Amino acid sequence: MATESENIESLVNRRYEHGFVTDIATDSLPPGLDEGVVRAISARKNEPEFMLEWRLQAYRQWLTMREPEWAHVHYPKIDFNAISYFAAPKSDEDRPKSLDEVDPKLLETYDKLGIPLHERARLAGVAVDAVFDSVSVATTFKEKLSEAGVIFCSFSEAVIEHPELVQKYLGSVVPRRDNFYAALNSAVFSDGSFVYIPKGVRCPMELSTYFRINAANTGQFERTLIVADEGSHVSYLEGCTAPMRDENQLHAAVVELVALKDAEIKYSTVQNWYPGDENGKGGIYNFVTKRGDCRGANSKISWTQVETGSAITWKYPSCLLRGENSVGEFYSVAVTNNLQQADTGTKMIHIGRNTSSTIVSKGISAGKAQQAYRGLVRIMPQAEGARNHTQCDSLLIGKECGAHTFPYMEIKNPSARVEHEATTSKISANQLFYCRQRGISEEDAVNMIVNGFCKEVFKELPMEFAVEAQALLNVSLEGAVG
Amino acid sequence: MTYEGKDLLDLEPEERAREGIFLGFQYPVEIPGVNNAYLLKTAVNAKRKHQGLGEVDAFEFLKLAREKMAALGMDPKFLNRGVNEGFSGGEKKRNEILQMAMLEPKLAILDETDSGLDIDALKAVAEGVNSLRNPDRAIVLVTHYQRLLDYVQPDFVHVLSEGQIVRSGDKSLALELEDKGYDWVREAASA
Amino acid sequence: MSRQPHSIDELQDIVSRLPSTRNEDWKYTDLASARDISSRWLAAGRESLSLALQDEVEAVTHAIDANWIVIANGELQHPVDVNGASRLDDAPSSDTALAELNAALLKDGLRLRVEDALDKPIGILMIDGTEDASVSQAYVEIEFAPGASGEIIEYHASKGDADQYANTIVSVAVGDAASARHLRVQNRAAHHVQTGHTSVSVGRDANYTMSGFDLGGGLIRNDVIIDIAAAGAEVSFDGLYLAGEGQHIDNHTRVDHRVGPARSRQEYRGILNGHCRCVWNGKAIVHEGADGTDADQANHNLLLSEKAEIDAKPELEIYTDDVKCSHGTTVGQLDETSLFYLRSRGLDKRHATQVLTHAFASDLVARMPVDAAKEALATVVEHRLAELLDSDPDTFS
Repeated sequence: MATESENIESLVNRRYEHGFVTDIATDSLPPGLDEGVVRAISARKNEPEFMLEWRLQAYRQWLTMREPEWAHVHYPKIDFNAISYFAAPKSDEDRPKSLDEVDPKLLETYDKLGIPLHERARLAGVAVDAVFDSVSVATTFKEKLSEAGVIFCSFSEAVIEHPELVQKYLGSVVPRRDNFYAALNSAVFSDGSFVYIPKGVRCPMELSTYFRINAANTGQFERTLIVADEGSHVSYLEGCTAPMRDENQLHAAVVELVALKDAEIKYSTVQNWYPGDENGKGGIYNFVTKRGDCRGANSKISWTQVETGSAITWKYPSCLLRGENSVGEFYSVAVTNNLQQADTGTKMIHIGRNTSSTIVSKGISAGKAQQAYRGLVRIMPQAEGARNHTQCDSLLIGKECGAHTFPYMEIKNPSARVEHEATTSKISANQLFYCRQRGISEEDAVNMIVNGFCKEVFKELPMEFAVEAQALLNVSLEGAVG
Repeated sequence: MTYEGKDLLDLEPEERAREGIFLGFQYPVEIPGVNNAYLLKTAVNAKRKHQGLGEVDAFEFLKLAREKMAALGMDPKFLNRGVNEGFSGGEKKRNEILQMAMLEPKLAILDETDSGLDIDALKAVAEGVNSLRNPDRAIVLVTHYQRLLDYVQPDFVHVLSEGQIVRSGDKSLALELEDKGYDWVREAASA
Repeated sequence: MSRQPHSIDELQDIVSRLPSTRNEDWKYTDLASARDISSRWLAAGRESLSLALQDEVEAVTHAIDANWIVIANGELQHPVDVNGASRLDDAPSSDTALAELNAALLKDGLRLRVEDALDKPIGILMIDGTEDASVSQAYVEIEFAPGASGEIIEYHASKGDADQYANTIVSVAVGDAASARHLRVQNRAAHHVQTGHTSVSVGRDANYTMSGFDLGGGLIRNDVIIDIAAAGAEVSFDGLYLAGEGQHIDNHTRVDHRVGPARSRQEYRGILNGHCRCVWNGKAIVHEGADGTDADQANHNLLLSEKAEIDAKPELEIYTDDVKCSHGTTVGQLDETSLFYLRSRGLDKRHATQVLTHAFASDLVARMPVDAAKEALATVVEHRLAELLDSDPDTFS
């Protein structure tokens, strides 16, 4: 375990010793994508041969694929040659020197969300060395993980330090040519997280991208791989409630989870990328492939997400339930306001015997937003005794928004029990009047009703995250009723 | 429409509530997922804040709510259910009276609180109303039937027809109405 | 519009354009056999001798007391002795290949106008039976005048060992304040293919009730498209599909709520036994401005065999906020406790299963909108269910 703890140490320390002092400006590549760009990315990261080969194959496959058009979203065609595929992090000179230089509107939002002061600076992109003051937190965290033998590092680091694990598991859940954006990510992924929990280990703390300090610049093609070995347990938190601004409009991340026998992975996301302004200008396109593989018997993968950001979201965190008695869960709250569009949901593929899955999806649509739930429950012929329960509710606020439900159920084994329920309703004038008649303001009443609507999902989030998520929802729906 | 020097029609519903007016609904709405206790606590504190008083904490609130519920013969578990969610007609009406008891209004208007109640629920609601009677509080009961008035003895009875008070009296007027029906009042009014 | 003479090449071209599984709406249903039968029949000169169908016609028309119109192998049988019925020369062509095929090959269309209250149901029996492989088209237009009311029975049957593909289009217009009750029975021979398209437009304060029963057929695809374009409409439709060995039954429904307030509800139930596949895809679209819409969809499936497969897809597309929409779908088996209970009361497994599957189907039979046909239909359903339960030896093992 010594090497692993050293890795963590070097990761944590490197940041403070060096920051971004290398002359990275010369590292950036011009816009456009060809094999040379893929080779250059790999070379910049000093990747071993296998990684370059993998990227190149992905690139060649991507060339033969077409952009998906089935989702219920509309946006102008993306020019993939106008994107720079290796955008180096901003240098300190380009960043605001202190919070005084940051957009006051952004600070106001941080305030509403109750984000700690030291974190605000990091989120607003203030030069890191100047503000990061949680060294002690990181040190405690590093010691605890190394004692347990947990590997938690950046993806780039893992490629170099743990090639055998990366080679074994990378692409084993989301194959390179799984879909157009997954193939693109496989070719040009920038960085991301790598987690390995050894046999029988219960990860002593919740792992969060917040603690993996260099997360701020994982860039637009993030790649995450989490492997939970037999009998292990891990809870991973991705993102944060604060609005994240990013210059890159297209984000195409891939997340792969592998749960071996008796292992459990809980993956929680709060996504709040910039959604664009009230007129739909700007905003991130978030096209994500997230998939978990319950490879061993009695394994469990649970996805919980609160999605309020991005102009366009296209995301279906899924579970492949291979192991006998394995369990897949998906709990989601998605909020779209103004001109946001989201096409999101999950896939539960039941392969093993006695596998079970639960889907709870709560969609809130306001303003002129369009939101679709798209889900697939497939019971394969060999999945004797499979169970699924799906609850999928939409709440509409305002006349011009839309909520759509496209659930697919493909049942190829007669012993399956599959239940799907869905409702769509609006916040009724009667409910609001009732609350107001009891002295509660309209805004508070809406918040109260919305939080009540989402309760089933919030209770799946880690405690602090749940409180933040609630506040986030209220901020996201500000001005939706009126 | 003036109330304590303020034009009620100028006020938003929540402002009226904070000014001490309570409206008991004929058909209280269900608000799925919103905890009954939570709504009540928020409402109580909204009013206290308006009056310049400090907020009650969860502990005080629960103690108070439990007391009031016991007085109304309500099971404390109602506090943890969604607002009126899956409540029977009688339970909804009791819940209205509980809210009234917690918010301590100066003026309470109970709109057909007796409709659709069985006799036990009717008695419980009436007892709740009676227990809240005091010289600083006006309660307006809107009803079509005498049976509620068997349990709540009114100080005044007004007959409202087409938006106008057409006759006023004491509790004997209600008995007379039950006996003779409404037509004679209407005829007398139009004559 | 006058009918265009079509060359064989033009016809083969239409056939080649029939929807493929690459089309999202046809993802689970492959029309390869329909294309194959059609092109063989076209190549063979579009000739095939009719079988004697009199017994089969009488079996239906005598069992159900209605004014019957018979369309055999796509030809209207004379005399047509029903008020308001007339022959239609042309079917309107449309943008789908199936409608094009219908328009190109149609022999006799039928038009039916219901002026006031019908005292007796009108039955339309579409029956096919030929010596060799054949393709038939039917096109029926039914119009309920404002305020009119009545019951319509649409009955599909077929006979013979030769391959057959029937492509039928029924279009119903329900006038303002009219009340239409529509029973649709599909009881084709085991290996025959049908694509059936039913479109309904519902007027202001009108009422439309439909029940569809799929009892036979090899490859069956039904599309029910309901358009609510005026306020106050009430639409209610049910479907029961019983699928056994080798059958593929696909029900696609779509309700467009363009104006509110209006209500639509639907409930489809399926019982599957043996190697078979059923598809149910229910779509409700609430368009911008259709305030006060109340739409409800339900689909329940009973899988009795190892080899049965169901694909269910309840869809909602909602573009306004003043709506109440819900859908529920279940896939499961007979309730173990109920089975155990019945068996502990002395019923053998087969009988207990029969009792419970019956109960599952019986609600829809009871709700069936045409009283005159209830008894006959109940018997047919019962017969088909018994056959279905006997067909797969696995069921009772």
